[in-house]
Amino acid sequence: MKRSGLARFFASSSPALVLGVILCMSFNVQAATDENEWDVLQKAAVAARALSYQGIFICQTGQQVKSVQITHLFDGKNEFARNVLLDGSPREVLSQGGDLVIYNPKNEKIVIEKRRGQNMFPAVLPVNLDAVKENYSLRSGALERVAGRQSQVLILEPKDGLRYSYRFWIDTEYGLLLKSVMFNSRDEIMESIAFNQLALLSSVELDWFKPKIDHNKNYEMEDEQVVIADNGTPVDWVIKDLPAGYRKIDQMTRMVNGKPYPVTHIIFSDGLASVSLFIEPALKGHKSKILLRSVGNTSFYTSVNKGHLVTVVGEAPEATIVQIANAVVFRK
Amino acid sequence: MTEQISALMDDELAIEEATHILTSMQSSKQAAETWSQYHLIGDAMRGGAALSPHFKQNLMQKLELEPTVLAPNAIQAKVSKVDQLKNKLPATWSIAASFAAVMVVGWMAMQVQTQPNNELAPIEVAKVEPSEQSIPAEYLMAHQASAPSASSYYIQSVSYSESSR
Repeated sequence: MKRSGLARFFASSSPALVLGVILCMSFNVQAATDENEWDVLQKAAVAARALSYQGIFICQTGQQVKSVQITHLFDGKNEFARNVLLDGSPREVLSQGGDLVIYNPKNEKIVIEKRRGQNMFPAVLPVNLDAVKENYSLRSGALERVAGRQSQVLILEPKDGLRYSYRFWIDTEYGLLLKSVMFNSRDEIMESIAFNQLALLSSVELDWFKPKIDHNKNYEMEDEQVVIADNGTPVDWVIKDLPAGYRKIDQMTRMVNGKPYPVTHIIFSDGLASVSLFIEPALKGHKSKILLRSVGNTSFYTSVNKGHLVTVVGEAPEATIVQIANAVVFRK
Repeated sequence: MTEQISALMDDELAIEEATHILTSMQSSKQAAETWSQYHLIGDAMRGGAALSPHFKQNLMQKLELEPTVLAPNAIQAKVSKVDQLKNKLPATWSIAASFAAVMVVGWMAMQVQTQPNNELAPIEVAKVEPSEQSIPAEYLMAHQASAPSASSYYIQSVSYSESSR
C-alpha cells in the first residue's frame, strides 16, 4: 500500500516538491537485494536532479568519444548545471531546470543557442517512470565498481524489438546514476555515458555558474528557430497504428534548413527513446526514393506518400522508424 | 606569499591592495620567479606556446628597433571602449542565481564585437560528411533541437564550415 501511495504522489506532485521529499527520505540505499529494482531506478532519476555533485564523465557513441566536466547544484528549489566539453572545441552547456544555453564554438565565433531539455546525463531517466515500466522490464545484475564507487547494475530490457536495451550502474550510497549504456538487439553498444570521477558538492555557491569567455571570439545568438506551436489547423493526414508504447508528446510547425516551406514536426516517445516525424509537401520532380539508414543509435527513413514527403528520425531501431512513417495515412 | 601572487593573477585581489606584493616581487627574486612561473603555467593551461628562455632579452632588443609611436593616444582611444567592456565582464559579474545572468554574459560578449559589417557576416553551412551512411543534417538537427538524446548535447553529428557571401 505504501508503494502505490508513493507512486500516486510522484504522478501528481510538482517535480520540485518530489525532489524535496525524496531528499528528506534520504539516500541510504539498503542492501539492494531487498529493495525493488524500480525503486532504485526511481531514486536514481531523482538523485540526478536533487543532489549537488561535480565530476567528469565520458560520452561515447558510434565513432566519437568526448569527456565532459559537470558541476550540478540543487539548492532546494532550483537546479543549476554547467557541462564543459574537455575534448575538441570547448562547447559548454549551462542549464537551469529545463532551460539550456549552449555556447557552441563554430570556427571563429561562438554561437549561443537556447534549448529545452530534461534528460542530460546523469538525469537520463524521467522522474515519472510509468511509460518506461510499460515498455521495459527491469532486473538487477551484479555489484560493480565505477568511478571508484560501488554500484548496483540494473538491466532494463525492452518487452519487444521496437527499442534498445539499457544497463544502468547506480551508486549504492548516493543513489546516483554512474554509468548508462545503450545496447541494440545484437548486444552491440550504441551509446555509453559513464562517470570516471565524481564527488558530492557541499557548497551552494554559484560562482562556477558562468561560461568561460573567449575575448578573441565573437559571440552571436543563433538565428531564431522558426517554430510555431501546433495551432490545430486541419490537416489531410491522420496517424493510425503507432508502434507499441510510442506516444505523441509534441507537435509543432517549423522551418527546416534548406526547405522553402514550413514542415510539420511531431515527436513520439516510449518514455526513454524519442523519434521525430516530419511531414511536408513533396516538391515537384522529387524522386519517390525510399531511404533507410542508421548511424550509431540513430535511424532515418524517408519516403514519398501521396504527394507528401514523410521523414522519420530518432534513437530507435529501424523497425520502429519505418513503422512510425507507415502510421501516417493521407486522406484523399 | 605565493597564495597572494596567485590571487593577484586571478583578479581576486585588487591591484590597489597588492602594492606590497609588487614591491616584494621587485626586491625578492623568489617572488618574481613565482610570478613568472604562474604565468607560464597559466599560458600552458590555456594552450599558449611556452616562451623561450631569452624571451625578455629578445623582446627588449626588438622593442629598441621599433620606431617610436608619436601619437599613442590615437591607438588607445580606439581600444578603450572595448577594454572598458572587457574589464566589466568577469570582475563585476555577480553570482546572480538567475538564468538571465548567463544570457547577459553572452550579450555583453557580443558587444565586444567591433565592426558592425553585417553584410559580410559569414553564413554557416551545415555540412555532412559526404558519406553514403550519413543522415541528412537538416532533419537530424531539427530532431535534436526539439528532442535531444543524452549524447547529442556533447557529440554533434554535424560539422560546420563557414563561407563569406
